[in-house]
Amino acid sequence: MTSGIFFHDVSHTYRPPHGRPVLALERVSLEVREREFLALLGPSGCGKSTLLYLLGGFLPIEVGGITVAGKPIAGPGSDRGIVFQNFALYPWKTVRQNILYGLEKQKRPRAERERRARELIELVHLRGFENSYPAQLSGGMKQRVAIARTLAVDPAILLMDEPFGALDAQTRALMHEELLAIIGRTPKTVVFVTHDVREAVYLADRVAVMSARPGRIKEIVDTTFAGAKGPEIARTSEFAEKVEHLWGLVRGEAILAQERREP
Amino acid sequence: MRYLPLLPLAVAWEAAPRLGLVSPDVLPPVSAVLRAWLRLLQDGDLAVHGLSSLQNLAAGLALGIVVGVALGVSMAWYSPVEILINPLIRVLYPLPRSALIPVMILWFGLGAASKIAAVFLGCLLPVVMGAFNGARGVEQVLIWSALAAGAKRREVLWEVVLPAAMPEILAGVRNALALSFILLVAAELITSQRGMGYLISSFGEGGAYDAMFAAVLTVSAVGFFADRLYLLLMGLALRWRG
Amino acid sequence: MAWLSAFGQAALRWLSILAVLALWQAFAEAHVVSDFLLPPFSTVLVRLYRDVASGDIILDIALTLYRALAGFALAAVSGVAVGILIARVPLMRWFFDPLVSIGLPMPKIAFLPVFILWFGVFDASKILMVAFSAVFPVIVASWAAADGVEAVLLWSALSLGAGRHRLLWEIALPASLPQIFTGLQVALPISLIVEIVNEMTMGGEGLGGTIMTQMRFADSPGVFAGVLAIAVIGTALVKAMEMIRHRLLLWHPETLAASA
Repeated sequence: MTSGIFFHDVSHTYRPPHGRPVLALERVSLEVREREFLALLGPSGCGKSTLLYLLGGFLPIEVGGITVAGKPIAGPGSDRGIVFQNFALYPWKTVRQNILYGLEKQKRPRAERERRARELIELVHLRGFENSYPAQLSGGMKQRVAIARTLAVDPAILLMDEPFGALDAQTRALMHEELLAIIGRTPKTVVFVTHDVREAVYLADRVAVMSARPGRIKEIVDTTFAGAKGPEIARTSEFAEKVEHLWGLVRGEAILAQERREP
Repeated sequence: MRYLPLLPLAVAWEAAPRLGLVSPDVLPPVSAVLRAWLRLLQDGDLAVHGLSSLQNLAAGLALGIVVGVALGVSMAWYSPVEILINPLIRVLYPLPRSALIPVMILWFGLGAASKIAAVFLGCLLPVVMGAFNGARGVEQVLIWSALAAGAKRREVLWEVVLPAAMPEILAGVRNALALSFILLVAAELITSQRGMGYLISSFGEGGAYDAMFAAVLTVSAVGFFADRLYLLLMGLALRWRG
Repeated sequence: MAWLSAFGQAALRWLSILAVLALWQAFAEAHVVSDFLLPPFSTVLVRLYRDVASGDIILDIALTLYRALAGFALAAVSGVAVGILIARVPLMRWFFDPLVSIGLPMPKIAFLPVFILWFGVFDASKILMVAFSAVFPVIVASWAAADGVEAVLLWSALSLGAGRHRLLWEIALPASLPQIFTGLQVALPISLIVEIVNEMTMGGEGLGGTIMTQMRFADSPGVFAGVLAIAVIGTALVKAMEMIRHRLLLWHPETLAASA
């Protein structure tokens, strides 16, 4: 199944309960290639999460269009799994029950569901915590459950909204390795929202820098490196150059955003 | 233990009427009250009237919970329902539901139905508010996660919104429980031929004050223990909160 | 509906009330149920107007309010005192903690016949019954408030030279005021409800008693008019408390935030 994603001139206006409507995205056009890891990078408020939610089908597409595998999207679906920054785990369900939820929705036979759940718990290194409740887990563990839950239904596309933003630096570094290992084993198309430049360069194949609000695609930078990605990559000068370049772009947009807020 | 101070209170209660500090007519000693209580138990009065009260209370409460949760969650999930029901809630909210007891008697007569209706009306509002606030307060990302997992909207309502709203719903039910006791006893004191309220007032009018105190204490104790039991069950149901 | 201004929200509230009344009128005029079960709102309104004009209901309202507010005042003063004492004096806490914790979930209305036995059938028993029911939320609120006064507030006052007694009046009390007032706001409707039930049980004059008399005479419009009067009074009392709270707590962040 092909999973190329195309954004055609997508605009989005945010209409808050009080106050004036705000143009969040302006004519965003973007291609995400199949099995590519694309990072959406930009200052706060640039609309990168909005773009992700539109792709996920959670927000209505009013202007422009988004196609996945040639077909326009129509609401949320299990072909686009999503992982949120604050985990969004069902607190009344155990780890195992959380992971099983999507499998139950897909109406897979019981034995297969249990087997798959066990597989995923192993994959994210949470053996022994199957019957724990989210309230009993650390931030890193919660996010691993969230990832396992999303992967359970085997979506071709993985949407991640600053998934490691709520974690401390060490846990975040570990999660980077785990994520790359998982993607390495079961390749997927990944759209990853972040404001952390180093994280974007480290994880992604390409980084799309977004402008300050209203969000547009400012520049797309290739961040593949020769050889497989590992922690050593982060110490090369090539890595540092890319980070420097992207940091300059983002910084420029962040200053613009700040200036617009304080005229 | 925490309830130790009740002991000297009980001793004072026994001593004061016996020593003539207060008239034993107005405050029978604890021992007399306990004896009267045992008599009520043996005669079956406690069983008959206690059961009658409990039945009416349980019926009104159960109805209030079911209708209240259904209404509250529907209001949070379907905006036409909210637009329709919200004004009714606004109007009922400042009105003390015990003021509606005479209306219930007009409508349903002096029997059990008016008591059940009074309890139902009293329980309804706290449960609706709890269910509404709980369902409204469910994090958007939980709903989106479920949709992305392939759940249909109706499934999301039952499988995500309702469980997520449980803490607030159960808090509202606890309020409703306390109110149900108040409304039932009030309705039975006002007019009744059966039930604990009837027992209390008829003993009072007949001068059997030791039995009256026994009945009053029974009602108070049941109300207290019902709340404690409910807290226990609520803790069990919400043990995932950690 | 946060997009409406405060004025808009108030207007919407009145609109919903009018909508319900209109529905009531339409329902009654359609005669889905007999006029006895649900007299039209117009009939009830006319009846209420006549009762007010003749002065009958004014006497009832005055009596009910007098007893309810007297009981409320009693509960307020004693409740705040006991609550603060419980927070600050260990012996009081030891003694009162079980009493309060048991008393709170109890249906205290069951004690009405006891109060009648002790204090007779006139005002005293009613007022004390109201006070008994209303005191518990006041105690709990005052207790929590006194307990919760931030230690740093007290310490800074102490280091500035405040004596222990002045500490209570000048720092602890104002800091506790919002929470105490919330307890009073809970206690006021309770006072009204309990007084109404008192009167319904014991009869005589007062809104509750009159409603019961009308019920016995199958005077359905009269009963509904009485209920309407209670609703209006109840709402007025709640609104009055809100206004007093706003005035009293002008300095508090919650008031400042609301007017920001």
